[in-house]
Amino acid sequence: MSMDKPVLELVDIHKRFGSAVALAGASLTLRAGEAHALMGANGAGKSTLMNILGGILQRSEGQIRLGGTAIEIASPRDARRHGISFVHQELNMLPSMTVAENVLIDELPTQGGFVSRKRMRERVAAILERLGCRFSPDDTVETLGMGDRQMVEVARALASDPRILIFDEPTSSLSEREKRRLFEVIGRLKAAGTAVVYITHFLDEIFETCERVTVMRNGQTVTSGPLADYRPHDIVTHMLGDVKLEERLRPPRAPEGEPVLEVDRISRQGALDGVSFRLHPGEIVGLWGLLGSGRTEILRALVGLDGLDEGAIRLRKDGRLQPVAPGDLHAEVGFVTEDRRGEGLLLPLPVASNISFANFDKVLGPLGLIDRKRERRFGEAFAERLKIKLHAISQPVRTLSGGNQQKVVFARWLGTAPRLFFLDEPTRGLDVGAKGEILKLTAALAEGGASVLLASSELEEMMSLCDRYLIVQRGRIVGELPGTADKETLMQALSGPGTGA
Amino acid sequence: MRDNQSTSFGQLARRHGFLIVLVAIFAVFTLATDHFATFGNFIAMLHAMAPVVVMSCGMALVVLAGKLDISIGSVAFLSSTFAVLLMNNHGVPPVVAFAVTLAAGAALGALNGFIVVGLGINPLIATLGTMIALRGVALQLTNAVLIPLPESVRSLGNLSIGPIFVDILVAAVVVIAADQLHRRTVFGRQLNAIGNGEEVAAKIGIPVGRRVFVAFVLSGLFASIGGIMSLIQVGSISAYLGRGMEFTAVAVVVVGGISLFGGRGTILPGVVLGALTFEMIANGLNQMSANPYAYRLVTGAIIFVAMYVDAMKSGRIRSRRKKLAVRDEPGRSTGTIAETTSRP
Repeated sequence: MSMDKPVLELVDIHKRFGSAVALAGASLTLRAGEAHALMGANGAGKSTLMNILGGILQRSEGQIRLGGTAIEIASPRDARRHGISFVHQELNMLPSMTVAENVLIDELPTQGGFVSRKRMRERVAAILERLGCRFSPDDTVETLGMGDRQMVEVARALASDPRILIFDEPTSSLSEREKRRLFEVIGRLKAAGTAVVYITHFLDEIFETCERVTVMRNGQTVTSGPLADYRPHDIVTHMLGDVKLEERLRPPRAPEGEPVLEVDRISRQGALDGVSFRLHPGEIVGLWGLLGSGRTEILRALVGLDGLDEGAIRLRKDGRLQPVAPGDLHAEVGFVTEDRRGEGLLLPLPVASNISFANFDKVLGPLGLIDRKRERRFGEAFAERLKIKLHAISQPVRTLSGGNQQKVVFARWLGTAPRLFFLDEPTRGLDVGAKGEILKLTAALAEGGASVLLASSELEEMMSLCDRYLIVQRGRIVGELPGTADKETLMQALSGPGTGA
Repeated sequence: MRDNQSTSFGQLARRHGFLIVLVAIFAVFTLATDHFATFGNFIAMLHAMAPVVVMSCGMALVVLAGKLDISIGSVAFLSSTFAVLLMNNHGVPPVVAFAVTLAAGAALGALNGFIVVGLGINPLIATLGTMIALRGVALQLTNAVLIPLPESVRSLGNLSIGPIFVDILVAAVVVIAADQLHRRTVFGRQLNAIGNGEEVAAKIGIPVGRRVFVAFVLSGLFASIGGIMSLIQVGSISAYLGRGMEFTAVAVVVVGGISLFGGRGTILPGVVLGALTFEMIANGLNQMSANPYAYRLVTGAIIFVAMYVDAMKSGRIRSRRKKLAVRDEPGRSTGTIAETTSRP
């Protein structure tokens, strides 16, 4: 098989969802025996492009060529028939069933109407051997560790003998050793002539495993070529593009006063590794890292949504730092994420009830029943303060725009007057106006003395607010930058030490 | 990473735990009564539990897919009603009449399947609805009175080959068939996969809706077979036919080690051992002339234990999330940024 002739070409692919444009000229060329890194920030269009390749979505325009011939991919089954297979980020495992069953579940070999266990075992054993796996086809998946499960997922993708194999963030749940094994497997696949697409947020991995790279931004392919021609920093710059520097919403300032929160070497297997920092009153600290770097995991761990293996968290109480369990810290924190529904907005209920939810003590009447009038006034006060646009406070939250829904989340927390706010992509999916208002609100919170921990993929957003940055990579804090750091420095930090360049 | 040793040990303990209970029940009744551990009584128990075993097989298939069918008692009642009315009022030959029963069972199962899959209604609610409605129709058709079977059919109840009643053989055939269906066919594996996680199964490419539909059809079919067996055992149809059977079947399935969360457990020996557990308790307490209500208490307790074990096995009751190791050293510095900067 020639190394130069492309196996697959995606040419000028466009995809529109109604009036929204997801892809506007994305291209990708794969060659046999190469691993091709597909990079891009959140929302760059990687997933959409891969879903088109996988037959899950249909393109609006453009051409897909397989071995030089134009083809249609109408369904996932179609994709498999063309020799295209996926290893998804989330593992689709059937825990109570055997490895062999998991690998072949969509095409179990039969003999006389019965599943042939013998043939099933033989086929899977052969695949496992190719992958260098030590577990048996008869092992139950629930007895396997994460790395082995990932291998089962790879085995399933290999069962159809693909010419093109797409790995979608395969290492996000793997340990270092398991990652090594995966890279070896990718090496073997390449040697066998398989074209591999490798999607990841980890720069060091692509320099280790890939020959070529394609970077996407805003639904377009912005650059593509041999990896040898790029430095890590170039790739980050391509991913993030030109950052329009907006005015700062408030000048950066140095930490003052006694710390409110002290995080001491918190760790969680496979996610966080000895994360330590302090948070001072009235400061906005940015967790700066690419998606998957661990910034979300830090916030989740602090409020007890994910467990901790080690480390301590201390909160200032009665004038001194006292240890606090993450679950208890949650009650002290205004926690706002991009997932408004997940954060407990009750969409069918009125705005007023949603706001009073964390504040029942303030809306109770004499008998301990909820006083509707009081609840309404309470809600209205916040709606006015946060400029939530609504017809009536009794309007269901569902009928509000995304930005206003997010403000309702803020309103709920403001009622409890927390000293700490953890914001994880608080403006995701909001329009420009709403974004600005949420950012202003964040600045106002800090002005009021609250400490804010902010995680966002958007550099301009971070740069308009943060007093200092903690650089997050691979679940560790690898450095700190002052609020005055410029765009170059911040981008450099992402591809800085530890990215294997 | 892998913790094979402790896992297999735990599984072993759990599996044997159930057998220990079974043996204990057996031992207690053997000691406490004169006739419990006799061949005749054993055959009598198998005979009595045969209809339940058959209906539990259908239930098991549905439960393995992570669903529930509590209409099977009513399906059994209504589908047998058709046979009785056809034989008694229209002189239809028994073979044809019972074929109609089986067809009706499958059709009523299809109705359940349609409500669950087609209309997307929660299986518990869907089959609660059909449980009530179908029994209503059957009561209407029979005027809720007792209708005896024709003499020729009634004599089938005593048919046996040697000492073994025919319905025990029927139950054995059904259990083996259902077990093979579950364990050895693509359909069975797919049901198991659906029970493991519907979304995952759908993503892998299993036609979830169609498979669940078929599971309900089979559940209806098995219910009608069980209905015919009870009908012939009793010799007449009454308003009580199949009543409470749905819950007995759920209990049998769960005690037999099939998880109500789906995807876990086996029909053989699970369903048979589950049914045997309840039959031994009923039979033994009866021979001890215990208070008839005691049976319900004991049964309830056993179901409760079985559910708890199921929840543990399925990981629903996990050991509490590791509490943070709170180290109280407030004075210590957090200036570890320097040391974390250099990574290997």
